[in-house]
Amino acid sequence: MLTAMKAPLLAKLRRCLGRENVLTEPSELVVYECDGYTIEKNQPDAVVFPRSAEQVAEVVRLCNEYDVPVIPRAAGTSLAGGCLPVGGGVVVMLTRMNRILEIDLRNRMAVVEAGVPNLQLSRALAGTGYHFAPDPSSQVASTIGGNAATNAGGPHTLKYGVTVNHVLGAEAVLGDGSIIQCGPLPEPAGLDLIGVLVGSEGTLAILTKLWVRLTPNPQDYRTLRVIFNSVDDATNAIGDIIAAGIIPAAMELMDRGIVEAVEAAFHFGFPLDAEAIVVIELDGLSVSLDWQQRLVVELCNKWHAREVLQASTRAERELLWKCRKMAVGAVGRLSPSYCIQDGVVPRTQLPRILARVTEISGKHQVRIVNVAHAGDGNVHPILLFDERDKEQVARVLAAGEDILEECIRCGGSVTAEHGIGVEKLALMDRLFGPTDLTAMRRVRDAFNPAGRLNPGKLLPSANGDQTFRVGASRRALP
Amino acid sequence: MNQNPESSVSPATVELPLKEAVEPADQEAVAGIIERAWKDGIPVYPWGGCTQMGRGARAVEPGMGLSLRGLNRLVDYPSRDLTVTVEAGLTVAELRHTLARHNQRLPVDIPNAATATIGGAVAASVAGPRQFRWGTLRDYVIGVRAVDGSGMVFSGGGRVVKNAAGYDLCRLLTGSYGTLAVLVQLTLMVKPMPEETAFVIVEASDHGDAERILAHLVRTRTLPSAVELLAGPAWESLGDGLASRGGFWIAVGLEGSPDEVSWMVDQLQAEWREAGVALWHTLHGDEAWAFWDRLTEFPWKAASNNGDGELLVQFHVFPSAVCELVQRLRASQPRASIQAHAGNGVVLARLDIAAEQAAAMVEQNLRPMSASLGGRAIVLKQPRGSDLSRQAIFGPAPPGWQVMQAIKRQFDPKGILNRGRFLLG
Repeated sequence: MLTAMKAPLLAKLRRCLGRENVLTEPSELVVYECDGYTIEKNQPDAVVFPRSAEQVAEVVRLCNEYDVPVIPRAAGTSLAGGCLPVGGGVVVMLTRMNRILEIDLRNRMAVVEAGVPNLQLSRALAGTGYHFAPDPSSQVASTIGGNAATNAGGPHTLKYGVTVNHVLGAEAVLGDGSIIQCGPLPEPAGLDLIGVLVGSEGTLAILTKLWVRLTPNPQDYRTLRVIFNSVDDATNAIGDIIAAGIIPAAMELMDRGIVEAVEAAFHFGFPLDAEAIVVIELDGLSVSLDWQQRLVVELCNKWHAREVLQASTRAERELLWKCRKMAVGAVGRLSPSYCIQDGVVPRTQLPRILARVTEISGKHQVRIVNVAHAGDGNVHPILLFDERDKEQVARVLAAGEDILEECIRCGGSVTAEHGIGVEKLALMDRLFGPTDLTAMRRVRDAFNPAGRLNPGKLLPSANGDQTFRVGASRRALP
Repeated sequence: MNQNPESSVSPATVELPLKEAVEPADQEAVAGIIERAWKDGIPVYPWGGCTQMGRGARAVEPGMGLSLRGLNRLVDYPSRDLTVTVEAGLTVAELRHTLARHNQRLPVDIPNAATATIGGAVAASVAGPRQFRWGTLRDYVIGVRAVDGSGMVFSGGGRVVKNAAGYDLCRLLTGSYGTLAVLVQLTLMVKPMPEETAFVIVEASDHGDAERILAHLVRTRTLPSAVELLAGPAWESLGDGLASRGGFWIAVGLEGSPDEVSWMVDQLQAEWREAGVALWHTLHGDEAWAFWDRLTEFPWKAASNNGDGELLVQFHVFPSAVCELVQRLRASQPRASIQAHAGNGVVLARLDIAAEQAAAMVEQNLRPMSASLGGRAIVLKQPRGSDLSRQAIFGPAPPGWQVMQAIKRQFDPKGILNRGRFLLG
């Protein structure tokens, strides 16, 4: 808790934002003790709800004055502890900055406050012929600012890229409380600060407004559900499709374990004995989709596809996507707690990493089910456990670490789209060398020299001492 | 020291005050050279194919010339992963050739491919017409290895197409003109090669007409790879005397499978007929591929005099302001040759101008013109004999300038990398 010395800070925050926009009661703060990564928890000292960049800047200045950490947060759907208040501090909620300021079709651009939910922008764009391409599975709740802070992906990144490919400009509050605007026009004379801010997990600045690129809607879709008798067949087919020069909008793999969970929860009618189901979506010009589909089916059949089913109506397509996007939630049926991992390997290493996940599951006696943005080589093994059992938690952490180390050995990375947060701090110096991390620390020090913006995230401290570690009893990583 | 005498660089081409020029054969040697320069406090001027050396101010302080052309290895090309890892000094033509053997490409237009190196293109963030659909090099560089201003070798990113681990050093270094670090190795995302291409070209009588046509394209059902607005003497050879009548061409580049391209050509022609737009010409096959080359080479293919008398300026405005900017440019400079990547708001203007008039032209005429439309302007190439200041070349410091300077101090504490040439030099 804040010491009594910090009481003047709270008084100033209330004066700046209004009493109702500053939470300090433990019963109110409990909601903010973690994000979607629930293995570690810690309450902040206060939560504030600014309504403008100026208010965010004032909060940052006040926190500087009292040497208190500032943790930006919006929907809290992040999965790596990126908004965990590790050392306490003030959580800055961006959710009330939720206005869509402009939709400018002529310039194929929208201007939004950071707290606008992803899906709200999509809805506002309905009928315009354009959409905002990043579509993380959390899109109902997660915000554009949060998507940018974590460089969020989603199923359709295979063809359309991740969030950074769709951000043209950003207004941000820096560590000293100053406000900068980068973009939306490209900066031909300086550095690409937007490219660095996107994915920086709130450790460089607090994003308050974004200029985002709008993408034309595809003219048509072909959505296929393909059943394979083995995960290997499925990943081989996926590799062949990419190698043939076809870039589907999405290729999503679900293994038998996750299909069981989805069936138990939603009764979509998936066969329970299927070892792997792949949802393949082709999109683009109608004229090319038929031959692309023929080729995709041919390649699936080459790898012994048991059944290829095409969604023939819009409702069927939406059902397939609903099933995929709700798959993780359905895991609640299988287990009281789960940890969704996020690893990425070169596409051709997909068979190897999934085989290793199976071995790791056996080694640590942890049940693991898999979904994957397979076309990108992005795997999401979901580790099932009971968080009340400390010994199980330790095994889950060890298994997760083994999986990510294997991703590194395959030439991949420890996160494709969830970020480092606190969860993966200990893996950073296995993925990167000392000089690589030095280069990143320089970037942080340039933006956030005092280190009060979201401390203890993304970068391990230079001396290897994780100052802000909490919940040591739940923490298996050294 | 490892040197390759075969490809020694003539200082006349490079126009740098060199004490010495070296061409190391491996990455470690690059680090060693920069470390020594750092210890001695001597400026280092890196280059690749020297095709973009016209950018930036003329360096004054004598220093070490560092050619990266000795680093020309293809490190790894797992084509089924759609990624390629290369050393920075590989020429763009060699890279294209390698990718083409697997029916793949890097869909970024880089002029002078036979001499331009991939590292140089990334350092300058070179982009052309295809950025409308395919983005810029910032969207393709997924891994870097570089040497900072003290000789420290570091990497960023990796070899996977999606990576959220740590800060994006790839984007930070792309377009930083070698002022933070010297690129030695890159991993790039690549794309399948389209089989077919075509251009549908229409004419616009004036800028209002051009804006009407471009605004109409927002609703097109086709997927253009490029939306170009062309005007001025350099395009006279397109025919029919339009240039001399003060008109514009709008060229829409289409790429894809033969079915897709053929459908898009028909569709676009139909959309424009319906809108009452006068069709001028459609280019197919080899003619269309050649037109891509012409559009790519425009900025550097000088009309006369080997380009020595030319000023090349690049403007950035919102796409909706492109026609207005081009109109003002032509009113002020009727002989300017103009190419706008109109869908992206990038306008390139080539002007024949006396060296001593260049500074006034940029600072009193062109830059205020773009500023009045909310845009920015930088000089990509100045006439031989002129000596524009960094301020004249790049204009006022951009937003976030203090952060940029802080990053510069972190990566190049003695300021030896490209000293005096760029805003952050």
